[in-house]
Amino acid sequence: MSHTPEKLSLPGRQFLDRRQFLSGSASALSAIALTSLLGQDRLLASGTLSIQPARPFAPRPPHYAARARNVVMIFCAGAVSQLETWDYKPALIPLDGKPLAGGPAVTFQGPAGELARPQYPFRPRGQTGKWVSDLIPQLAELTDDIAFIHSLTSKSNTHGPAENFISTGSVLDGFPSVGSWISYALGSENQDLPAYVAIPDPRGVPQAGSNNWGPGFLPAVFQGTPMSASEPIRHLSPPPGISPTSDRAARYLLERMNARHLTANPGDEKLAARIASYELAARMQLSVPELTRFDDEPAHVLRLYGADDTANPTKAAFARNCILARRLVERGVRFVQLFNGAYASGGDLNWDGHSKLKEQYDKHAAILDQPAAALIRDLRQRGLLEQTLVVWCTEFGRMPFFQKGAQGRDHNPDGFTCWFTGAGVKPGVSHGATDELGQRAVIDIHPLYDFNATLLHLLGLNHERLTYEYNGTQRRLTNVEGDIIREVLLSS
Amino acid sequence: MGMRPTAGYRAALWLMAWAMNLSVIGIIGARSAPGGDLPFLQPITNPPLPIPRDSQWSRQPLDHFILAHLERVGLSPARETDRVTWLRRATFDLTGLPPTPEEVAALEADHSVGADERIVDRLLASPRYGERWAQHWLDVVRFADTHGFEVNTERPNAWPYRDYVIRAFNRDLPYDQFIREQIAGDQWGEDAATGFLLTASALLPGQIGADEPSKRLARQDALDEIIVNIGQTFLGLTIGCARCHDHKTDPISQHDYYAMQAFVAGVEYEDRDLRTPEANALRAEEGALKTELAQVQADLTRYTPRVGETSDHQSLADGSAKPDLGPTAALPSENAVAVRQLKERQKRIEARLAQVAIGQRAFAGNFRQPDLIRVLRRGDPEQPRDEVAPAVPRAMGALELPKDAADPQRRIALADWIASPRNPLTARVMVNRIWQGHFGTGLVDTSSDFGRNGGKASHPELLDWLASEFIASGWSLKHIHRLIVLSATYRQAATPDSQGEAIDAESRFLWRFPPRRLEAETIRDAMLAVSGHLNLAMYGRGFDLFDKRGGLTGFKPVESFDVEGRRRMIYAHKVRREREAVFGAFDCPDAGQSTARRRESTTPIQALNLFNSRFTIDEAEAFADRVQSEAGPDIDRQIQQAYRRALARDPHPEERVEAEPVVRHHGLAVLCRALFNSNEFLFLP
Repeated sequence: MSHTPEKLSLPGRQFLDRRQFLSGSASALSAIALTSLLGQDRLLASGTLSIQPARPFAPRPPHYAARARNVVMIFCAGAVSQLETWDYKPALIPLDGKPLAGGPAVTFQGPAGELARPQYPFRPRGQTGKWVSDLIPQLAELTDDIAFIHSLTSKSNTHGPAENFISTGSVLDGFPSVGSWISYALGSENQDLPAYVAIPDPRGVPQAGSNNWGPGFLPAVFQGTPMSASEPIRHLSPPPGISPTSDRAARYLLERMNARHLTANPGDEKLAARIASYELAARMQLSVPELTRFDDEPAHVLRLYGADDTANPTKAAFARNCILARRLVERGVRFVQLFNGAYASGGDLNWDGHSKLKEQYDKHAAILDQPAAALIRDLRQRGLLEQTLVVWCTEFGRMPFFQKGAQGRDHNPDGFTCWFTGAGVKPGVSHGATDELGQRAVIDIHPLYDFNATLLHLLGLNHERLTYEYNGTQRRLTNVEGDIIREVLLSS
Repeated sequence: MGMRPTAGYRAALWLMAWAMNLSVIGIIGARSAPGGDLPFLQPITNPPLPIPRDSQWSRQPLDHFILAHLERVGLSPARETDRVTWLRRATFDLTGLPPTPEEVAALEADHSVGADERIVDRLLASPRYGERWAQHWLDVVRFADTHGFEVNTERPNAWPYRDYVIRAFNRDLPYDQFIREQIAGDQWGEDAATGFLLTASALLPGQIGADEPSKRLARQDALDEIIVNIGQTFLGLTIGCARCHDHKTDPISQHDYYAMQAFVAGVEYEDRDLRTPEANALRAEEGALKTELAQVQADLTRYTPRVGETSDHQSLADGSAKPDLGPTAALPSENAVAVRQLKERQKRIEARLAQVAIGQRAFAGNFRQPDLIRVLRRGDPEQPRDEVAPAVPRAMGALELPKDAADPQRRIALADWIASPRNPLTARVMVNRIWQGHFGTGLVDTSSDFGRNGGKASHPELLDWLASEFIASGWSLKHIHRLIVLSATYRQAATPDSQGEAIDAESRFLWRFPPRRLEAETIRDAMLAVSGHLNLAMYGRGFDLFDKRGGLTGFKPVESFDVEGRRRMIYAHKVRREREAVFGAFDCPDAGQSTARRRESTTPIQALNLFNSRFTIDEAEAFADRVQSEAGPDIDRQIQQAYRRALARDPHPEERVEAEPVVRHHGLAVLCRALFNSNEFLFLP
């Protein structure tokens, strides 16, 4: 889905030059990696996958070798403005307060107002000199390791369908989430924990709710299990009033009943799988509480994440979720989805900055920045980034002009930024570009299908071969679309 | 229950006559269009019964097909299961509940001719039958009581459609009429039935972008959901692919897709007044209550103090002022008494008004002048191409209406075309759904896709034989159930067999009865039935599974249920996307997309939910109390009664020995909790 530039701004050309320079310098390394990949096309040959009912999370090899084995996805709900974060548009500064000639009269929420400059200062960062906003100073320090895609488009300008779209590849409700696809394909490295954990924001769940981690038509075992540092897995232990001895007695009777029943129905896999599921549940009862206890986390780690920030309890709670994400990855959980931002609230609980964008973003960035940056640093420091892909994403972007009578920006699905860092990702890349006002993607336009195809590819999964038959159709995360964005791959 | 010749029906007949005169309605069936060679587009045949070598085994004609096929592939059927197992299986299958110990005892006592037939008749006549089979239907049409998408607000008048479906199954409404009513029930006075058209998630006006392209896209999505639902539910066709491009494998072009959409282009996602006697009575009462309320409010204003307390004045008149803080304190005391009485009366009227508001309307669509439908390039409303007239896919017939046909004519014509005995898909698709409901898998395993990508029929002749039988019976679902449940095929034991496993591991050829886990709703209903808590109140507004009935995410589940919450789960207020906290994990559909067939996955979360939830603990305790009152203080008798209630059998001696010390030291509820979690309880035998 690459497109030739229709019009290229000065900063756009500069970025393009820098990108070409970087890709040139990395090419020798890429060539070596590429040859090692050839001929390693293993498994999932026909796209059919056999799952043992008794061991649904058994690790399964990918289609081809890949660096990334786990994923941490940081999902910022509510549509983060690209213009206040990663997509620097100095052309807006002199145009601040002026109407956009030929612009739309009406956008998602109503009449359009005047163009508005980036609400935060930008400055160049790191070796690449990438211009990033002061809104997120700590994440900004990591840009040398990040591969940005500035030219994404969504199929919807409405939060619910758009979150469905980025998370499931369909704007409709009811399709499997990306994490479900991945745990279906790869299983997990840890048999005592769920393969896929979704960590909701301390302020609540995002607008498309459990669709973001739902199994759709995949078996329910592959859905994300919601839990956070403050809210453990539901029903992990019996309700108060059930004594441990009576609990053990019930378990003993159940084991006897099921064993006898299995003997009477020898070789029935479904019965064996149910017995195994109770055993896994019992192991989870032991291993999950330890996950959220944090006794073994030293004070300097808590401080690094901001989990000790008593002045900002929401930030401290999000920081604890970030620590939980790292602990899950350490234990081999395949897919960890970490939400920042809750549901529709006029932008008070998430990144939906319609009315007073700056005021709201000050608050949200203070929650996101330090903990998320610390998570990435901590993963790197522990060597986990060698095999962990970190994804930062949001459902769409925002308009270069304010809404009429407001100090905020409306929904914009035509050009926005998400990024990758970590295993298999080419560091310091800025791929694609929006026009000089940041309104529409104009260079290397990528529908989110491409983003998801690339995500799967980074895990060694061919998005055209990872399929599941539903209603007679071989369904995919990417429908019938999707081109891998090779420019962000370490080994392309 | 036949069709009532209402004015709408007469209009439909007139329309058909008119259309035939103009030769607009053509033959239904395959023509020589591309893809017209699809097997299921060929006319339904009425194949002769095969003659298996074993002439003794068959109990029903359908058994001939199964046995002959087993013999052909070198398999033999499993032994016949005992009658109690058959009863348990049939009772779960037909009613979604386990048999009671009394029903088991009655069966064991009755060996007279026709005893089993009478049991099947009893099960089919039970109102529980409609509740059970309506759930299968609601899965397919992805029914829910909220609007879906992010705002997911309550759809407060959706449930009349759920009740309509339950009633239709219970009275064995002929299936052809069931189809007609769901597409055009307004023409037969069945207003709730057209709730079928609007079962999908929908963006409400406030959620759709204010810009024109957003509005056009939302309307296209809304129409797409309707026609996709019709295609997959009745015809087993996945026509949605053709929204953006010609179907890659099935004979549905992009033009066909938009021509189908034109049949429903006059449907709006809105409530409509019900016109049942009950709804009319509620409306009349509402009118009277409103008149009374106006009078009370007028009376209240007379007591308002004259000196400029405007805001209090208003709050008094609208009843929002608190009685002890309002200006009544400043009034003469006799007036204060009168005001207090008036306000009490006002409160009573308002409470009753809220009650009578429920049940007058159904989320069943409003019908208007149809939109002009054009083919959209790549499905994009911003790239309109040729205008299309309502028409069925060319490979399937020649029905085409004029471009200016009015709304009811369009829906009636489509319904009649689908509900025709000559439509090659309709009867086949439905008998296959019934078969799937009994055996877990249909003769065609993709029950909503009879296209080229769909599965092949394991027994194509049997499918046709059943479809013919279905039509000949006057489209009676209960007739087909009876044939199946009384068959030798259905009576086979579920015992595994190595030869069978080697040749046909999934038992598609039915060399045994394929065992399967109970569905989420059945597990919950069965636990309540066994504990004695099940509330059999039917119909009406659903009970709450969460702390709210719709809205943004963050639903807090109800953990302990009162009497209302102990109704069958089909009467739960179904919040789209939010899976019920205990049973949702048992592959309960979230009503996002259609569920033609439930998955049957096994997860540790299921185990945690069923073992540790408040619900299980509560019901285990209720079950224990019930057993104690039935069996008395003797522990051995208690254990026996618990097994009889939960598993329809007596415990084996070693089971008694194991359970006795546990019950003695930890109480009977521990045994009950284990029984609720046992595989024997959770699997259809």
